[in-house]
Amino acid sequence: MEHLYPEIVITGCGNPLYADDGFGPAVVESLRALALPVSVKVIDAGLGGPHFVFTMLDPAQTKKLVVVDIADFGGKPGELRWLSVEELPPGSYRDAHSWDLTEPLQRIRDEIKVRILCCQKKHVSAPEMEIGLTDEVKQAVPKAVSAILEEIGVEYGTVAILQEDTHGGRAESGCETR
Amino acid sequence: MSKVVEISPTTRHEGHSKLVLKINDQGIVERGDWLSITPVRGVEKLAIGKTMDQVPKIASRVCGICPIAHTLAGIEAMEASIKCEIPQDAKLLRVILHAANRLHSIALHNILILPDFYLPGTDTKINPFAKVEPVRSVAARIIRLREIGQTIGEIAGGEAVHPSNPRVGGMYRNVTERARMKMYDLAKEGRQLATDQMEFMIAILRNFQKRDYCVVGNAKVPMPKDLGYHNQGYMAVDPMYGTNSLAEHPTWQPERWAESRPWDWYMGEMEIDFEDPSYPIGGTTKKGTKANPQMEACTGVPTYDGQPVEVGPRARLVKFKGYDEKGTVGQHIARQLEYVDCVYAILKSLDALNPSGKVLADPIPQGDGSMGWAANEAPRGTDVHLARVKDGRVQWYEMLVPTTWNFPTCSRALTGAPWQLAEIVVRGYDPCVSCATHMIVVDDDNRIVAQKLIQ
Repeated sequence: MEHLYPEIVITGCGNPLYADDGFGPAVVESLRALALPVSVKVIDAGLGGPHFVFTMLDPAQTKKLVVVDIADFGGKPGELRWLSVEELPPGSYRDAHSWDLTEPLQRIRDEIKVRILCCQKKHVSAPEMEIGLTDEVKQAVPKAVSAILEEIGVEYGTVAILQEDTHGGRAESGCETR
Repeated sequence: MSKVVEISPTTRHEGHSKLVLKINDQGIVERGDWLSITPVRGVEKLAIGKTMDQVPKIASRVCGICPIAHTLAGIEAMEASIKCEIPQDAKLLRVILHAANRLHSIALHNILILPDFYLPGTDTKINPFAKVEPVRSVAARIIRLREIGQTIGEIAGGEAVHPSNPRVGGMYRNVTERARMKMYDLAKEGRQLATDQMEFMIAILRNFQKRDYCVVGNAKVPMPKDLGYHNQGYMAVDPMYGTNSLAEHPTWQPERWAESRPWDWYMGEMEIDFEDPSYPIGGTTKKGTKANPQMEACTGVPTYDGQPVEVGPRARLVKFKGYDEKGTVGQHIARQLEYVDCVYAILKSLDALNPSGKVLADPIPQGDGSMGWAANEAPRGTDVHLARVKDGRVQWYEMLVPTTWNFPTCSRALTGAPWQLAEIVVRGYDPCVSCATHMIVVDDDNRIVAQKLIQ
C-alpha cells in the first residue's frame, strides 16, 4: 500500500469547464508530465475534492497535502499566494455541492501539513461552460509548478516523461505496489 | 384548506434542490414538487464539434461525485455510434471500475442518511461523526469501504477521481498480475466489511420502520406505514453494468423515451403561507414568499412509456431480482443489498480477467454519423448517453442522467407523507442534482424551447 498512500499528496481542484476554475487540473497535468519521486502522488480531484481526497490520505504515511485551486483574494489575475488552513475559517468555503472543505482540512492539520496554493482568478464562467484558462492564469501554471516543486523539496530539477508513458499511466503505476 | 410550505435548500445530498409542498390541516402532503435549482449548464452544446475522445472527459466534469459513471457511459455512447466492439478484458476492467465506484458510493450515502435514523432501542438519532461506540466503528468501516472502492477504482481506472484508463475502443492499459492480486485482496477484505455494513444498515432501517413517531425540529411526527410509496414504475437495464445500442437484445429503447417541459409537470405560482422556524437548519422558507416550481425547475421531465419512472438500486432489484418492497425504507434496503453485489461483481471479473489480454480494439472506426447510445447502471440509476459521431467528431450528444428521471417520480412519492419527512423521502433517491441539471429541453418538434424558460 506504500504507493497508494504516499508521503506527499498534491491535489488540483476545480472544473475545467468553467474557464479559470480549471487551474488546479491544469497544474496537475503539468506536474504529471514530470518525473517525480515515488513518494509523491498527484491527484486531479476535479470537482470531487471534498468527497474523494480525504479517504486517500493516511495520517500514518501522508505527511503533506498540497491543495491547488483558484481563489479571489483581491490580487492581480494570475497572482499566486500560499494560504494556510488558518486563513480559511470554517464555513468560509463550500463547494457547489454543499460539502464543506475547510472543516476537514482544519481537522487534519495537526497530523498532516496542509499547504494551499491559490491563484487569483480572472474569469470563472459558471454556470456557463467555457473551456480554457485566461492568459494571466495560464501563465501562472508553470510558476505554480515551480512553487510546488520547491515546497516538496524537488529543487534539483526534474525531467519530463515521454508522452506515451503518461497516457493512462496511473493504472500501470498502481500495479507496482509492493 | 391546504397550505404551502417550502424547504429550501434541501440538505445532505449533492447539488441544490428544494421542496414545495401543498399540505392539509394535518400536515400531510397533498401534492409535492421536488425540483432542482442548480443553474442550467449546456454540456450537450459544448460537445458539438469536439473529438469523440474529448467529449466523455468533458461529460465527466459535469459532477463531482459521478465522474466514473459519466466517463463510462460517454465512452460507450461513442463506441456505440462508431460501432466499435471492445475486447473482453477491457470490458472486465470497466466492470471492476464501475462496481468499485458503486461500492464507494453506497458507503458515502450511508454517511449522508444515518442522521435521519435512530440507534435501535433508543430515542437517539445517529451522528456518524460522534466519537462513541457503536457509531465510531461503523464510521471506520464506512471509511474503509470507501478506501477499498476508491483504491480498486484507481488501479483499474487509472485515477481515483477522474478515471484516465478508459478510452474510446477499450482501455489504455491492462493491469499486471500483481495489480490483479492487489485488487483481489482488497475485494476480499471488502466482502466481509460490506456484509457487516449491510446487516447494520438493514437493522437500523427496520428499526426506523417500526417506530411510531420520528422527531424533526420540535415536532413529533407520526410515522406513516407507506412513507415514499408511488406507482410510477421502474426502469433498469442491467443488474450491475449496462447495455448499449450494439447489444443483441438492448434492454433500453430510445423510442420509449420522451421529454416534457417542467412547465407541463410542476405546480404554478403560489404564495407560501406556512412556516416552521424550528425545522432543522434554519427553518422553512418565510411566509409570504412566492414559489413558482414551473419557472424555477431547472430540469426537463423525462418519461418512459409516457410516465416518469424510478431508477436506481430498487429499480434494478425489482427488474432483475424479484424485489418488491415499496417505500423509502424498501429503497434504502435495496441499496444496502447491492453492497455485496458490488464486491462479487469485482471478484468475478477479477477471476475472468487475463492480465496479458488485449484491451484495445484495432482498428477503431471513426463513425458515419449514426446514432448510438449506452445505458450505464450508475450508483443512482440508469445513466443514458446518446451520441452521433462522424469522422471522429461528435455531431450530437445528449445525457439522460439518473436523478433527472427521479425528480418527478419522487415528487409523486411525497404525497401522503407528513411534510417534515419529505426530505427523508428525497434522500432515499440518493439524489445527485448537479448531474441532473445540465440539459437543454426540447419540445415535441425537437426545438430547443426551455433554455431561457427554465432559468
